[in-house]
Amino acid sequence: MRHFLRLSILLIGLFSGSSSFAADTLPPVNTADDLGPQVDQPIEFPHNRHAKDMGINCMYCHTYARRAPVAGIPPLQKCMGCHNGIESVKDKPRIKELFKHWDEKKPIAWKKVHDLPDYVRFNHERHVKRFIVQQDKPVQEVCGYCHGDVKEGTVARRQKPLSMGWCVSCHEKAHPTDKTAQATAQGPNDCWQCHK
Amino acid sequence: MSVSNLLQNWSAVRHTHPVGDAPHAEYKWAMAIDLDACTGCNACSVACYAENNLPAVGKDKFEHGQQMHWMRIERYWDEDGRDMPDQGAQFLPMMCQHCEAAPCETVCPVGATNHTADGLNSQVYNRCVGSRYCSANCPFKVRYFNWYSYPDQEISWPSPMEQQLNPDVTVRTKGVMEKCTFCVQRLTVAKHNARNEGRLVQDGEVQTACQQACPTSAISFGNLVDPASKVAKQWKAQQVELAVDKQAKDEGDDSHEVGEHHSTTKLRGYRIFEELRAYPSVMYLERVRESAV
Repeated sequence: MRHFLRLSILLIGLFSGSSSFAADTLPPVNTADDLGPQVDQPIEFPHNRHAKDMGINCMYCHTYARRAPVAGIPPLQKCMGCHNGIESVKDKPRIKELFKHWDEKKPIAWKKVHDLPDYVRFNHERHVKRFIVQQDKPVQEVCGYCHGDVKEGTVARRQKPLSMGWCVSCHEKAHPTDKTAQATAQGPNDCWQCHK
Repeated sequence: MSVSNLLQNWSAVRHTHPVGDAPHAEYKWAMAIDLDACTGCNACSVACYAENNLPAVGKDKFEHGQQMHWMRIERYWDEDGRDMPDQGAQFLPMMCQHCEAAPCETVCPVGATNHTADGLNSQVYNRCVGSRYCSANCPFKVRYFNWYSYPDQEISWPSPMEQQLNPDVTVRTKGVMEKCTFCVQRLTVAKHNARNEGRLVQDGEVQTACQQACPTSAISFGNLVDPASKVAKQWKAQQVELAVDKQAKDEGDDSHEVGEHHSTTKLRGYRIFEELRAYPSVMYLERVRESAV
């Protein structure tokens, strides 16, 4: 009987231990197909309508990318700047939701999709300057290096691993310094360039 | 820097500055501290706490040697048979010396502390596993270990104080080593702005937090490669060279001692523990003694 008790206590302990471990475990950073987790946004923003059908430059809405470390999520004013004058879609449910926020003077609480760890510093401006300004590459292609083919999706989802090895794989490549030059240069390969 | 790259190019990564094969190209950040101007007021230390998210550990932990002050004021007493021994107090601000041949770098088992191209001794928190070898091998004892998780376990910033944390600096967690970074977050911003304008960082454009707070301007900081910078001029005036382990001193030279009041022209520059050949990036200017004036 005592043996039986001991065994059952052990089993219960093992079970509770493993189940609590499972409960504490965070969801995986990457899914099997290397996509980031699905993020439910307050409004299902269709990137394909804006970037592909309308052909709007990424930096029309994400203005800060060319002059600051963060690209920025556009404020509600930016959305209204166009949608105030677009009568054809005003009765669509998502646009109604947009106007509701506007009338209530409530900003839309967009959720962060591309969230780097706190010990990493990433600078959008440097990469925009390097590839769009110096090499004169198309904006959507350059943004797509890290953000994937945004114009084909609706709600943004992380499409690249954004891990250190992945960053380094590009930093180790020899990129031309400008549009015509033969000279190439690599990205910085120094811990404190990205880590803080 | 991927691990494979680190392992394959170990000798290149581990080069000891200053040697001919790896000269500093654009920047070599260095400091000069005038101990004659230092009053030991601790403003630099306070500024460092504010800038770099340092936890205030409290009296008990401090007595256990678990303090986290990247910048500390060391006190020395030179009573020298004075009537008032307090007059013999001397202060020495001590922080990471960013050695060119840093003893801490060679002993890190995971390569968490490296030398950057700018001549800084970098510490990468997320790579550190907390072996504390670096601290053991540091001759200056300026590396500080997180024995507790200060943001959540030992609440060092009770709400709403967490709002004042600097977002440009990581809030370190338990089990990692940390130390003075020469305010690398400010250097990064300055370099970034300079690059946008197609130039190098100018002298005086970037200040460390301690330098900014110093009421007597005892601390100067800048680019040693730039001969026009204040730091480079100070180093040159004191004949202190980065790659030399024993600086010229005019102790045996009587030429400056003709008049009693020429002591300011004496060479006062030195670096701490030069004979260990760590080649620190911080030059101290010896205090001009009362007796020497």
